[in-house]
Amino acid sequence: MKADLNNFPQLNKTKFENRGKELRLGIPVINAVTVGDSIAVGFGDGTVRIFSPGKSSEPIKAHKGIVLCMAKDGDHILTGGDDGRFLRISLDGNINEISNFGTRWVDHVTSKNGSVVCTSGNIVYLWMPNKKEPKLLEHDSTIGGVAFDSKGRKLAVSRYGGVTLWKKDYSNKWTSSDLIWKGSHNKVIFSPDDRYLVTSMQENQLHFWRLKDKIDSAMSGYGAKVKSFTFVGDSKYLATSGANDAVCWPFDGDGPVGREPICIPYVGKQLVTFVESFPNENAILTGLSDGSVYLSEIEKANNTIIIRSFTEFEVSAIAVTDDCSHLLIGDMGGNILWTSIWDEEKN
Amino acid sequence: MQKTDKQVPVTVLTGFLGAGKTTLLNRILTEQHGKKYAVIVNEFGEQGIDNDLVVDADEEVFEMNNGCICCTVRGDLIRILSGLMKRADKLDAIIVETTGLADPAPVAQTFFVDQDVADRTKLDAIVTVADAVHLSSQLTDHHEAEEQIAFADVVLLNKIDLVDENGLEVVKQRIKKINPFGKIINTTKCGVPLNEVLNLDAFSLKRVLEVEPDFLTSDHDHEHDDDVTSLSFVSDTPLDMEKFQDWFTKLLQTKGQDILRTKGILDFTGESDRYVFQGVHMLMDASPMGKWPEGKERSSRLVFIGRNLETMNLKEGFENCKSA
Repeated sequence: MKADLNNFPQLNKTKFENRGKELRLGIPVINAVTVGDSIAVGFGDGTVRIFSPGKSSEPIKAHKGIVLCMAKDGDHILTGGDDGRFLRISLDGNINEISNFGTRWVDHVTSKNGSVVCTSGNIVYLWMPNKKEPKLLEHDSTIGGVAFDSKGRKLAVSRYGGVTLWKKDYSNKWTSSDLIWKGSHNKVIFSPDDRYLVTSMQENQLHFWRLKDKIDSAMSGYGAKVKSFTFVGDSKYLATSGANDAVCWPFDGDGPVGREPICIPYVGKQLVTFVESFPNENAILTGLSDGSVYLSEIEKANNTIIIRSFTEFEVSAIAVTDDCSHLLIGDMGGNILWTSIWDEEKN
Repeated sequence: MQKTDKQVPVTVLTGFLGAGKTTLLNRILTEQHGKKYAVIVNEFGEQGIDNDLVVDADEEVFEMNNGCICCTVRGDLIRILSGLMKRADKLDAIIVETTGLADPAPVAQTFFVDQDVADRTKLDAIVTVADAVHLSSQLTDHHEAEEQIAFADVVLLNKIDLVDENGLEVVKQRIKKINPFGKIINTTKCGVPLNEVLNLDAFSLKRVLEVEPDFLTSDHDHEHDDDVTSLSFVSDTPLDMEKFQDWFTKLLQTKGQDILRTKGILDFTGESDRYVFQGVHMLMDASPMGKWPEGKERSSRLVFIGRNLETMNLKEGFENCKSA
């Protein structure tokens, strides 16, 4: 008998694990966002930790239950929880409660240019800069995701039946139009060049709209729900989870219609659970359901290196600092790797 | 996925407004000391609920684009159950209280359709609280009441102190005609041992083998054409697997909207295992469940609960599946 070594997960520690900091907290990692050279991590016990080079990370007691969502807001972070609280937290741990919705969850948060948004149920609460009271944008069904465009003049709100696209005119008045596609839409993002809007759906597929002419199409063929997806670099590719390969759809030229995605394979037939673009490169960090994480160049076949070996728990967060010096990996088993990317950097 | 985690059981409480759902809920929460429950309630709850972890839900029903025409799911449940499963502290159980007019099908279908929900939670049972005084008129006036009885694994027939013996018997017969599987428990103020409503594992295929349906001597007369009734079939002649699959698949595809629930234990020619299935509308869970017990006659049993069953030629269809 001969074992098929190709199907064995990586058993030896990688150089990143050897020189980085590994935490085994046992608390599910829910999300991570980059704020400058720091990375904020939200956990399934309501705590937040801030990782910065050369500093230790202490838990900040933010929410009672789960940190459901998190976003960057200037040099702060925004968080929403299942305790109904919507918070702004500084990197040194000061908490400011923006609003409290009681037994209703705060499902999504985002911000752009000083405007701050959270959603609870079917309502978007939008605080314009320096305004105390939020503007309420109501929708017919529960909101699946929310995103600003790069200028903060458009706000996309995904929901059952499509996306409501809110636009701010020069008198700061918000008006809406609908992008319709049957089914329930979850996470929504703009492409960095604002030409496309992409949603993930309850079904195992994504949907996109080209905003200049409202052409839309599905991206399907996944074996699981697509929970994580991101544009890479200057919008050339959309990297996606939900399959055994990291599936990267071309969004240059006229977009992905009629074109094949690039599929980056990984050994062991694990599910890709998380993707994050690697700054300034045409490359992605890919997290799998066994906890392993790889760095792959999209257009160069076989140019993949392993960053973290397996942990048995699905990867639920990957983030890279703005200066591209450090990266953080978290999984549902509460294991964290915080490491410098380049050999000479300190942790 | 966290491979070592067990699925958290979810109990669904249905029943018309005023039947006593919240009374039962509060009994569960106060008597199960030391257990950690999450309770998902609708915003029109009847009275206060005494629990640390109460989540407000919207009963948002949406259609799936999966080609299954009657496949609706509860979007809010997918969101909330997925969220609860990210908690650091593990829950012992989750209880979902529905509004009085809710159809239980989308709730049940959510556990068949959404992979994340199916991986981490399991539908333990649908418990329907019924008001012994008002159930008969509710069944006549509201099709949701029929559905709540049809989907029930347990019917808590409450307020029996307010009806006489004869009235109680009439209500019970009515319930049995709709749903021969549901266990009827007589109560006042929902006074029932909690092990009769919790941890029943009623949606597992194993339980299909254990629960003997309480069939009435068949009289299929009813007042309205759209009444929910049940039909059952037994055969001592083994069935032909291919014929059965052809017939049953087509039946669910074309009549799945009217067929609320199906359950069956099947004896196929040439197969040593028992085949067990159960379904909700067009969705099915089926599997071989081990050898037939020694010394017990092999036979196939099939039960349908639904509307317009008499128009579906079920008897003929089933007969045609018998091996020649």
